[in-house]
Amino acid sequence: MAKSQITSSSTAEYFAKNLQQVGFSSPTKAVLTTLKEAVDNSLDACEEEDILPMLDISIKRLGTGGSKNTDLIEIIVEDNGPGLEADMLPQVFGEYLASSKFGRGRCTRGQQGIGISAATTWAQLTNASGVLVTSKTAKMKKAVRAQVDVDIKGNKGLMKNKETIDWNKPHGTRVVFRIDGRIQLNGDGGLLTYLEGTTLVNPHLELKYKLLDSETVHIKRVSEQNPDIPTATLPHPHTMKLGEFITHAGIYGKITFGNFLKTAFSRVTDATLKDFVTNKMPKSLLVKPLTQVKEADFKAAYQAIQSTELPSPSTRSVLTVGEDSLSKSIMRLGDIDFFSVVARKPTICDFKPVAVEVALARFLGRGSEDGQIQLLRFANRVPLQFDKGACAITKAIESVNWRAYGLAQSKNTLPQGPYVFAISLVSPFIKFKNASKETIDASDELVEEIRLAVMRAGQKLSRHINRETKAADLERKIQHIEQFGPILVETLARLVKAPEARKKRAREGLEKILGRDSKAAEKDLDVADTRLKELRAKMRERGIVGEDFRSKDDSISDAYSEEDIGSSEDTSVDEVVVSKKQSKKKKRAGKEEVKNV
Amino acid sequence: MSKMIQVREQTKNIPHEVREICDKMLKDLEHAKRPTLDAIKCTLDNSFYNPKVGFLTPGDKMVTTELNVSSVQKMARVVFLMEILLRNMDIGSVNTKREIYYMAKGLVRSEKNLKALDFDDQNESDSIIDFICDLLEVYREEMNCFANDRGGQTYSQQLVVHETMADGEKATIDLSTLGTSPFQPKNRPQSLKIKTKGKVDFCLVVESEGTANTLVANGMTKRHRCIVVGAQGVPSNAVRGWVRTIQNQLDVPIYFFGDLDAYTLQNIYRTLKAGSAASLIRNSDFSAPEVNFLGVLPEDVKKYDLHCYKVNEHDIKEGRSLKKAKDALKNDPFFQDKKNRKLSDILNWLISEKLRCEQQALYSVDPKDPHICEKIIVDKIKRKIFV
Repeated sequence: MAKSQITSSSTAEYFAKNLQQVGFSSPTKAVLTTLKEAVDNSLDACEEEDILPMLDISIKRLGTGGSKNTDLIEIIVEDNGPGLEADMLPQVFGEYLASSKFGRGRCTRGQQGIGISAATTWAQLTNASGVLVTSKTAKMKKAVRAQVDVDIKGNKGLMKNKETIDWNKPHGTRVVFRIDGRIQLNGDGGLLTYLEGTTLVNPHLELKYKLLDSETVHIKRVSEQNPDIPTATLPHPHTMKLGEFITHAGIYGKITFGNFLKTAFSRVTDATLKDFVTNKMPKSLLVKPLTQVKEADFKAAYQAIQSTELPSPSTRSVLTVGEDSLSKSIMRLGDIDFFSVVARKPTICDFKPVAVEVALARFLGRGSEDGQIQLLRFANRVPLQFDKGACAITKAIESVNWRAYGLAQSKNTLPQGPYVFAISLVSPFIKFKNASKETIDASDELVEEIRLAVMRAGQKLSRHINRETKAADLERKIQHIEQFGPILVETLARLVKAPEARKKRAREGLEKILGRDSKAAEKDLDVADTRLKELRAKMRERGIVGEDFRSKDDSISDAYSEEDIGSSEDTSVDEVVVSKKQSKKKKRAGKEEVKNV
Repeated sequence: MSKMIQVREQTKNIPHEVREICDKMLKDLEHAKRPTLDAIKCTLDNSFYNPKVGFLTPGDKMVTTELNVSSVQKMARVVFLMEILLRNMDIGSVNTKREIYYMAKGLVRSEKNLKALDFDDQNESDSIIDFICDLLEVYREEMNCFANDRGGQTYSQQLVVHETMADGEKATIDLSTLGTSPFQPKNRPQSLKIKTKGKVDFCLVVESEGTANTLVANGMTKRHRCIVVGAQGVPSNAVRGWVRTIQNQLDVPIYFFGDLDAYTLQNIYRTLKAGSAASLIRNSDFSAPEVNFLGVLPEDVKKYDLHCYKVNEHDIKEGRSLKKAKDALKNDPFFQDKKNRKLSDILNWLISEKLRCEQQALYSVDPKDPHICEKIIVDKIKRKIFV
C-alpha cells in the first residue's frame, strides 16, 4: 500500500484554500467582493419577498490589518429585507453551497450559495472572527444578534455569542464584516464604481452610503415597483448532458417515461414525442414506468432527443430592468448631457434565454474627449468590475465601428469620449468564465446579440452627436466669416492698391456670399433638429419618459411626477437631451433652443 | 538689392501675375461673385510619363478653390502669404519656408486683426506656399523661397564649377583643390556653369552620403576619372537640380547606387530620375532622366550572396513602404511604362520576396579589401550591369 493515504476534504476546506477563485485574490478585491456579496444577498432577499429595498452601507478603516500592507476594514450592510430566523443564520452565512436559488433557472444575483460564506471565511482567516449578524423577521419581537463563523472542517456555520436585542426596525438584516483589505474608491475596480453601477440597474433601490470620512450619500429610488421576477422555467432537453438527464429522472417517481418527458422539460409535447420515435426512440419506452427504465434506454432516448429539432427555450424566464426605469435611473448618476437607452427583446443565445439592455450617456464634467469611455458591465444586475478585456460585452463594443456614430475610436478598441456605456445582460443561465463571476464567456451568438443592442443605441446617440456637429459647424462658419472676411478684403485691396470705395463694395459682396453659406448650414442644423424631435416625439407617443433635466441643484428624485413614470412593453429607445453646451452655441446662431421632447 | 540669379529662363512677371489674380478676386467680390483660384492638380492621378520626355508631367486636371465659408480661411492665408513673398521679391530678399512661417507669426502677433490667420505649425504655411507655386506655375525658388541645402556633397578631381554670384562677382571652384572637403551645390544649381579637366568616365550618385565619403576617402576619385555625389536619402531640390545640371552640361553617364528596397526604388530613385507627383510643375528642371539604376540589383544579391533583411509587414514604416510600392505598380505611370519594365520587375521581386538589401552589404563580399565596393561598382559599370 502506498505510504500516503487518500483523504477527502470538505467544500469549506476547498474554498478556504482557494478564496482567490471567488473574488478574494487581493486586499482591494476582498473589500469589494465582501460588499458585493452582502448587497447581492440583501437585494435578492428583498425582491423575493416583494419589499422595496433600502440599503444602508458604511465602510470604515479601523486601523492596520494583520497581513502585510493591509488595513483593518469594517464593512456594514443593513437592509430592510424579510430577515432571517436565528437558526438559519449559520447555514446562510457559514455553510458553502447552502442556497435557496441553486439551479432554479431564475434571474437572481446569487446562484450557488458560495459568496457570502466566502466573505465570512475571509473575515475569519484575516481577523479571527466571522461575520456579526443582526436580523429580525416580521414575526419576531426582538432581533437576534450573533457572530457566525465557518467550521472549515465540517462545512457548517457556527453561531457564537447569540443574544436578543431591541431593534428599531420591523424587519431586516445587518451584517458587519471586519477584514484585512485595502480600499479603492474609483476606477474599474472601485467601490464607488460598484455602487454607481448597482444604483443604475436597480431603479427601485434606495441607497445610503458612507465611505471612509466622506459625507453620507443618499440616493432615492426612482421606481416604486419591485422588478417582476419571472418564475423558473423547466429545463430544455437540449441543454442537458446524459448524466444530468438520468439524475433529473430520479425525482419524478412512478410516472411513465413519456409523461416524464412532457412534465419535466419545456418544449416537449405529444407531437414532439412522435418526432422522438421517428428519430429512433423505442415507442414502447414511452409507456414504460420511469422506475423500470434502464441506462441503455436512457441513452437511446437521449440520443433520439438530441437529434430531434425542438423549438427554442422560452424567454419568459428573463427579467429586464426596462428602458423606462433605466432611463430614470441613469439620471441618478450625475448631470447628464444626453443619453440613449435600448432594451432588446429577450432572445435565445446558445440555447439559453438572454436579454440585453444598453444605456449610453454623456455626462457633464465627467470623462474626457481623449480618454476611453467608461464601461459598466452587468450580469443579472450585478456589476462586473474585473477582467474587462475577455468579457463578451467588451468584445461586442470593440467590434462596432463607433466612428460611424460620431465617436472617436482606434481600431478594435473601446471608443473614446466622455461617455458612460452601461450594458446589462440578464439570463437565468449566464455562462461566466470563472467562479468569481467577473467575466461573461464570449460566445459568438452572445457577442452578436450584445453588438446589435449597442449598435441600435449608437444609432440613436448619433442623432444627438450629429445635431451637435451641425451646430458646431454653423458656429465655425459664422466665426470664419467674422474672422477671415475682413482680412481677405483688406489684403487684396492693399495688394492692388484699391481705393476705399472698391474695398467697401467688396466687403458688402463678401457678406452676401458668405451669408448664403451660413444659411445653408442653418438649414442643415434644422434638418438634424427635426430628425431628433421626430425621434423624441415617437418615443413620447410610446409612453416613454423623456424629461428635460433640471438645474444641478434640483433634487433628481423630485424631477419626476407620478404622471411622468410611464412604461413600455417592447424594444424601445429613450433619449433625453440636456443642452447646456448646445444652448451657448445656439445663442450665437440666434436660434431657439430645443430642449426637450 | 541686386537681381536674383534665375533658375531658368522665365518670361513670367510674377509680381504682375500676383496682382492680376488679386485684382480679379477683388472684382468678383465687388459683384458678390465667388472668386476662384485654379491651380494645377499635383497628384499621381494627374501625372503622365512619356519616356521620350523623361519625367512626370502634369495632365489637365486643375484644383479649383471657390470662396465659401469653408475656404475663406485658406484664401485669406493665400493672399496673406502672397503679400509676404511679393515683398521679398520686391526687395530681393530670400527666406526658407521655416523663416516665412515665423515671419507670418511675427506679423500675426503685431496686428491683432490678423490673429485668426496664425499657423499652428509649419506644415500649414508650407502647404499654402506650395499652393501659391502651383497656382502661379512657378518654382518656389523663383519666389525667393529656398529649401534647406541637404545632400549633394560632390567629389571629383576633374570637375570645375563656375559661379556668378548675386552681386556679379565670379567664383571658380576646382574640386581637386578642396582636399577632403566636398563641394555642395546650393539652391538653384542650374545657374552654375560646370566644366571638366579632361574626360570624365562616369558620375556616381550614392544614396548614402557616408558610403560616398568612404569611396572617396579610399581613393576612388584618384583611381577613376569620375564624379561622386552623395544623395543623402530622398534627393532634395538642390540634389535633383545639381544632377540635372551635370546631365545637361557634361556628356557623362550617370549611375545611381543605393539600397535594394521598395523605398529606394520608388521614392529616391524615381524622384531623382523622373521627379515626383508633388512637384509636377518643376520636374523638368529637377529630374535627371538619363540616370541609370546601378544597384543593388537582385542579381547582385544572388551573385555575391549578399546579406538581406526580411521585410516585416507589421513594422509600420516597412509595411507602409511595401504598400506604397504596390500602389506604385498599380498607379504610378513611371513604373507602368514598358520602358521601365525592368524597374517594375525589381519592385515585384521585392514585394514577392519581402526582402531588402542595403548598399553597404557589398562590404561583406571581401571584408579584408577596403576597395571591394568600388571594385564591384566599377566592374558593374564596365560590364553594363545596370537598369
